[in-house]
Amino acid sequence: MLTFLIRRIVAGAALVVVVATATFLLLNLTGTDVARNILGETAPRSAVTAKSHELRLDQPLVERYWHWAEQALRGDLGSSWFTGAPVNQSLVDTLPVTLSIVLAGLLLAAVLSVALGTAAALRGGWVDRMVQFAAVLGTAVPSFLIALVLAVTLAVQLGWLPATGYVAIDASLTEWLRSIILPAVSLAVAATAATAMQVRGALMDVLRADYVRTLRSRGLSTRSVVFRHALRNAAPPALTVLALQFIGLISGAVVVEKVFGLPGIGTLANSAAVRGDAPVLLGTVVVTVSIVVAVNLLLDIVYGWLNPKVRVS
Amino acid sequence: MRKTVALIGAALLTATVTGCGGGTLADGDRTLTLAESVTATPWDLAKASLGPESSYYQPVFDTLIRLDRNGEPTPNLATSWSYDKAQTTLTLKLRTGVKFTDGTALDADAVRQSLLHTKSGTASAAGEIRDISGVEVVDAHTVAIKLSHPSASLLPALGQVSGMIAAPGSLKDPGVPVGSGPYRLDTSATIAGQTYTYTRNPRYWNKKAFPYNKVVIKYLADPTARINALLSGQIDGGTVNLNRVPTVKGHGLKVATYQPGDVEGLYIWDRAGKKVPALGKLKVRQALNYAFDKKAILKAAKTGLGTRTAQVFAPGEDGYDARLEHTYSYDPAKARRLLAEAGYPNGFAVTLPDLSAAFPQEQAALTQSLKDIGIKVRLDNVPGDQIFSSALSGKYAMSYFKLGAPTGWDKVQLQLTKDSTWNPLKYHDPRAEELVTRIGEATGRTRDALFKQLNAHVVHQAWNAPWSVVANAYATAKGVTATPQAGLQYPPLHSYAPAAK
Repeated sequence: MLTFLIRRIVAGAALVVVVATATFLLLNLTGTDVARNILGETAPRSAVTAKSHELRLDQPLVERYWHWAEQALRGDLGSSWFTGAPVNQSLVDTLPVTLSIVLAGLLLAAVLSVALGTAAALRGGWVDRMVQFAAVLGTAVPSFLIALVLAVTLAVQLGWLPATGYVAIDASLTEWLRSIILPAVSLAVAATAATAMQVRGALMDVLRADYVRTLRSRGLSTRSVVFRHALRNAAPPALTVLALQFIGLISGAVVVEKVFGLPGIGTLANSAAVRGDAPVLLGTVVVTVSIVVAVNLLLDIVYGWLNPKVRVS
Repeated sequence: MRKTVALIGAALLTATVTGCGGGTLADGDRTLTLAESVTATPWDLAKASLGPESSYYQPVFDTLIRLDRNGEPTPNLATSWSYDKAQTTLTLKLRTGVKFTDGTALDADAVRQSLLHTKSGTASAAGEIRDISGVEVVDAHTVAIKLSHPSASLLPALGQVSGMIAAPGSLKDPGVPVGSGPYRLDTSATIAGQTYTYTRNPRYWNKKAFPYNKVVIKYLADPTARINALLSGQIDGGTVNLNRVPTVKGHGLKVATYQPGDVEGLYIWDRAGKKVPALGKLKVRQALNYAFDKKAILKAAKTGLGTRTAQVFAPGEDGYDARLEHTYSYDPAKARRLLAEAGYPNGFAVTLPDLSAAFPQEQAALTQSLKDIGIKVRLDNVPGDQIFSSALSGKYAMSYFKLGAPTGWDKVQLQLTKDSTWNPLKYHDPRAEELVTRIGEATGRTRDALFKQLNAHVVHQAWNAPWSVVANAYATAKGVTATPQAGLQYPPLHSYAPAAK
C-alpha cells in the first residue's frame, strides 16, 4: 500500500509540473501585448516598453520559465501583472469560496443521489421511472441556467437568499450558509443526476447477488440488508462517479461563481484568462490540478478501506 | 459519520427556512454600497490605474483639484493656481490645516513627495503626469510644478488619480492607504479583492460634500451579477450594460447615461495606402464615411443610446465642433459613386481583424456596411485580449475601434501626430503636424480656433469614419442619486447623494 501511494504521489506531482509547463507555454504563444493591455490605450509606447521590461516580457521564454519555476518551487507564485496582488494571497482568499460551494454541492449530491438511487432501486415502478426521468433532465440542463433561474426567482424576486456575494464561514455561519446554498444547489443538480443513476444500478446488481439472498434467507430485515451490507458494496462505483463529479464541479464553479458574483478561484481564473494575467492563471492551474490529484489519491485510499482486495493487488 | 451528514443536512435546511424571513439591511445607517467591475490595483499610487479602479482610491485620497461635472477644474486641496508665461510652471496655493489620517500635515513638501512618487511608476496614473520635470516647494503651502513642455492635460490629471496625495510616510509599499480624503479604509471589514469598507475621516475639511457615513465597494465582475445585486437591493450603484438598461428601468431603478469621451467607428490606419492602395485616395476614405447608417447601428448595438458623430472629439472637449457633425450622412449610393470616381467601381478587398469576441454587434455592423458598398471583407480571427495588439501591429489597414482619452489634447497626442501610439502605420500629414505644433504653443481663443481647424482638416480628409460618441449607463437604487462627470468612466464619489423623497 505504501509503495503504491508513493508511486501515485510522484505521478501526481509530475502531472502538476507537465500541466503548469504546458499552460506557461500556451500563455506565451498567443502574441498578446500584455503590457499594453495593462496600461490601456492611452499609454505612450515608452511606458509600454518600460512595463514589458518590468514584467521580464523582453527576456527569452526559457529564462522566464526558469524564473517562474524556481520561484514556484520555493512556494512563491509571483504577483498579478494587473493588480500587483500576490498570487498566493489571492489563492488563499478565493479557495475557501470555491471549496465551500463545491463541497456543499458534493455533499448535497451525495445525500440526494443515495436517497434517490436507493428509492429507485428498491421501489421500482413509477418511483424508478420518475427518478430516471429527473436524472436525464438534471444532466441535460446546464448548471448556469439553473443558477440564473435560482438567482432571479429565489434571490431577486422573492428575496429569500442573497443574490450575490460570499460571507466567510468565520464571519457568520448562517450568513455563510445563506450565501452558498443557491450556488451549491446549482452545482449539485447535474452531479446528483449522474450519481443517483450509478447508485441505482450498483444497488440493483448487489441486491441480485447470492450473498444478499443468503442474508435474506437468514431472516434479516430489508432495511438491515440494504443499509448494512448492500449499500457498502454498491459504494465504490458510486464513489468513483462522485469523485469525477468533484472535478466537474470545480469547472462548473467558474460559471456559477460568475452568476452569483462569488469571488472564488473560478472568477479569479476567468478574469486572469480574459486579460492574459499569466502569473494568476498559472497559480490557479497549479492549485486546481493539485486538488484534483489529491482527490484521486484520497479516493484510492477510501477504495482500499472499503475493499481490502485493492490493497493486496 | 452518518450522523454528521444528517446534522449538516439539517443545518442546510434550517438556513434555507430562516432565510425566508430575511430581507436586506436596515437603511438608516447611511451606508453607500457600490459595485465595481474591476479589482483594485495596489494602494501604492505609483502603481495606480486611471479607469474605474480609481473608485477604490477616491474615499481615501483627496485630489489637488476637483473636476466639476463638465470636467472644469475647481479648488480642492489647492485653493488657487496659476501658470507662468511660458506655460511650463504651475504654481498651486494649498489649503491650510489639512492633515493626513496618520496625523502628519499635508504641506508643500508632502505634495512634492507624493507627486514625484506617483510619477516614478509605470502605471497609467504615472503616465498622465509624465511631463512633470520637477516639483519645487516655494513655501509651506505653495508648490510649483515644472513641466518639460506646455501641457493642457496637467490640470485635468491633477483632478484624478494622478493628483491624489498620499501621506509621505506611506509612499513606499503601503499596506494600508493613508490619505487626507473623506474616508479611511476599515481594514477589519475589508477583504482584499472582494469587499472594501471605508468609514468617515472625522478630520476631513469638506464633510458636507460626502453625505454617507460609510462606503462599501464590492467587486462584482459579471454584469448579470451586478444587475441581480441592484435589483435585490444588495448594492446602491453600479455600471450596467446598455442592453440591460430597459430591464433596470423596468424595475424602477434610476439610470444615468454619460459619455466618457470614447469615439467608436471605423478607424482607418492606412491613410497613405501603404497596404491597401485604395485607402490612400481621399474619395475612397470619404466613401467609407457615407457607408454607415449610424442611427440604425446605435439602435441595434446600443439600444439607441449614444450620439452620432463624424469627428474624434466628443462634445465638451477642446476641438469639438458641432458644425462638423453633418459632414457625412448615410448615403450608400454616394459612397459607391465616390468609389467609382476614385477608380474602384467594383470596390476593393480588405482584411480586417474580427473583433466579435469583444464587440459582436459593432463588428457585424461594420462588416455588413462595408459589403453593402461593394467592399470585399475578409476577417482574421482575433481573441478578446488581443484587440490592442492587433490594431497596433500595423498589420491591418483599418478596423473597428473605440478610442478615448481624458482630454481633447490627449486625443491629439494619442492619434493625430506622426509618432502617436494610435497611428500604427505612421501616417504623416504636414498640415496636421503644423497645426498640432501651433496648438501646443497657443493659449485662449487662438488655441480654440487652431484646435477647430485641426479637427476640420481631419474630418474633411476623412482620416477615420467615426460613428458615435459612446454612452455608458450607470444605475442607482431608488434612494440614491449619482451625477456622472464628463470624460470619466464612472460617477465620482462626491457626486453620490441620498435622493430627495
